Order: sequence, then C-alpha cells, then structure tokens
Amino acid sequence: MNVRCKLPPVFAGILIGLVMLIAFVISGRGIGVSGALTRMIAVAQNTISPQITQSSEYFSRYFAYGQNPLDNWLVYLFAGMVLGSFIASLICGDFKLEVLRGPNISAAKRLLLALLGGILIGFAARLARGCTSGLALVGGAELAVGSWTFMLCVFAGGYAAAYFVRKQWL
Amino acid sequence: MIAPFVKTELISEAMNLWLAIPIGFLFGFALHHGGFTDSRKIARVFYFRDVDVPIVMFTAIVTGMLGLWGLSLIGYMDTSLFYFLPTYLLPVAVGGLLFGVGMVVGGFCPGTAVASVATGKIDPLIFIIGFFIGSLVFGDFYPVWGDFYNSDYRGVWRLDQLFGLQLGVTVLLMVVIAIAGSMFLRLVQRIAWPDTFIPVKGAVLKVQVALIVIALVLATVMAFFPTSSYLPAEDDSGWHIVPRVIITTPVSGQ
Repeated sequence: MNVRCKLPPVFAGILIGLVMLIAFVISGRGIGVSGALTRMIAVAQNTISPQITQSSEYFSRYFAYGQNPLDNWLVYLFAGMVLGSFIASLICGDFKLEVLRGPNISAAKRLLLALLGGILIGFAARLARGCTSGLALVGGAELAVGSWTFMLCVFAGGYAAAYFVRKQWL
Repeated sequence: MIAPFVKTELISEAMNLWLAIPIGFLFGFALHHGGFTDSRKIARVFYFRDVDVPIVMFTAIVTGMLGLWGLSLIGYMDTSLFYFLPTYLLPVAVGGLLFGVGMVVGGFCPGTAVASVATGKIDPLIFIIGFFIGSLVFGDFYPVWGDFYNSDYRGVWRLDQLFGLQLGVTVLLMVVIAIAGSMFLRLVQRIAWPDTFIPVKGAVLKVQVALIVIALVLATVMAFFPTSSYLPAEDDSGWHIVPRVIITTPVSGQ
C-alpha cells in the first residue's frame, strides 16, 4: 500500500478503539462483521430455496415474525465500512484490481487457499459466535473471558498451522 | 447517565441504524490506513515478520476498555443497559483454534476481507465466498453441532470475576499486559527478521510514549477508585456490574 497513507499501528489501533467506543456510547453494543455476512447469505439462500432455510433451526430464527434479516444494525455498519475503505483506497491512490500474495506462490494457488481459509473461518465464526471485531476486540474491551480465550486460541491455531502454508507468504 | 443513547431513548431506533453507517465508514477507513486490507500483512503475524496486527488489536482494546469502563465509572454510561457478550467457553475455544488456522491459510478475518474487497483486491472476494460456504454448512447442518454450540454456557463472565480482582485493577492489569505484549512481539520481530525492523523515532515516538503514559495513568486512577460506588446497591457481589442472565434460545454472534 501507499506509504504516505500508512498509520503507525498505535494510531490505527486508537482510531479503531474510538470507533468501537462511539458504538458503545451511541448503541450500547459492539461493532461486528461476520454477523452481517451470515445474514446476507441466509437471505440469499432463502431467496433460492426458502424450504432449506426455513427448516434450518439456525437460519429460520433470522426470519421469525416476518423479520427481514438485513434490517439490522450490523448490516448498516457493513455498508459504511465498504464505503469507508473504498474512499480510503481512492484517497491513498491504491485502489487496484489485483491478487495480493507472497513471492513464491501462483495467483491460482493463492485463491484456492483463500477459499479454503474462508470456509474454515465462515464455520469457525459461527461456532464461536463472532469474529475478530465483534468477539475479540469488543469482548476484549468488555473484559469477557470468552473473548480473551478466543484470541489466545486464534493465535495458537495460527502459529500451529503457519509452518504448513509458509510458501504462501514468505 | 445518558449513554448508551439509544437505550436511554436520547435517539430513536431508526437514528441508531443510520448512525451505524458513519461508524462503519470510520472503521473501514481505519482498517485501510492500518494496512489491514493487505492479506500478507495479516498472515505474516504468524511468522513474527510483521507484528502490527496484534499491536493494533491491543491498542484498540485498551482504548475501548478505558473508554467503556471509564465512562461507567464517572456515571456517564449505564452498563446495565449495555449488551455484553455471553460466554460459551468450549465452543469459543474450538472456534478460535479453527479461526486461527483459517486466518493463516486465508490471510484474512471477515472484517479485513470486507475492507480489502472494497479496495479492489480479488483474494478477499474469494475468501468471502468461502466464508459464505462455511456459514451455510454451519447453519444448514446445525443439528450436527447444535448441542456443542450451546454447551458450556457461563453467562456474562468477565476477567475480573475470573481473577477475583476489582474491575479497575483488572483494567490496569490488562493495560500493562497489552503494553508489555506489544513490546515483546516487536522484540521477537526484530530478532527473527532484523531487516524488517523500522525503529520508531521523532514526533511519532514522543506521541506514542505520551499515549502509553496517559493509558497507564487512566488505568491507575480506575484501579484505585472505589469501584463499588458505581455499582447498583442491590447487586449481590462487588464483582458484578451486570447480573448473569440465563438465555434459553441460541444467541447469534456478531
């Protein structure tokens, strides 16, 4: 990325922390991303096959009492987020269609591993009830035992698996 | 007590939804400026080659933590109206391990992937398609792991309750851990990959030192402030700000 746009980590962290704090003060809840993504795919599945969605104990409650799962705080946050990083990349001059990867891996292999990692995280985020933003950062600030456990386990899992995919990144 | 605004009806539910857009905007903006729209930066944490990600996480947590509990301490934030995450210990631990493997394989977490797609990158788009598949597998085959998902429920359970410490003391402890942890990670990076190390100098260094001092001072004030003074009188224990609630139906994550 463009060097002149790069914030030192402590400043980027404070900015993200303030975003979280504003959400606490205004809405009394945390920010989060994986919830919005799951709501979107639930709606997509419901459009294609309402039968499967309604028979799923997990997804059907999103639609209980005729609710629209997309009429949700997290989905509005998601929309703002997409806009925010899009504008940021335009300002910094690094909006570009590309596949970012390490020097020793082909684009096709990188995309295959991205898909695999995405599947794992899509499942894991549902099992853990959140992801890095909604569970780790927000819960970390709330001093939640579950969130600190999550962070320790994420890093344990990451370091344990790092050796096997090192060619992708180094 | 006037916060949280939507719970004290200072703003309407509809206004609350609309305000999520500028909050999200700032979040996406910050993620890009932190460099988190680049998968390589995230994955290289796991080789100690670039430890910015955990340092940003530590800093964000310290900022949010000092803000949330500090505002509660001065009586501005009513934490009894606040939504706290419930803990299901074993599912969160297993989910975390899988999540970590997914992060080093895929190079993203959900938030950074969404921000990265918006900057034109293609790998996060594929990652998000994977995320959709993983979520569908979880939801459509829910009976297979539903019992495990709802097991080991601990209610709203905080570190101060775990340690048996006062809330303010726990905040101070976590601030110290965050600062020490960040410095340790940077040291490991410097030893393992000397060529990647860029020393912090000049004004940036001065501001960072000042911010660390401010965080420590705030946390110390909170630690030695009589925290029981802002707890509701009917609360059964000095450690509880929010009483544990029994939830019978599964609760969705973030």
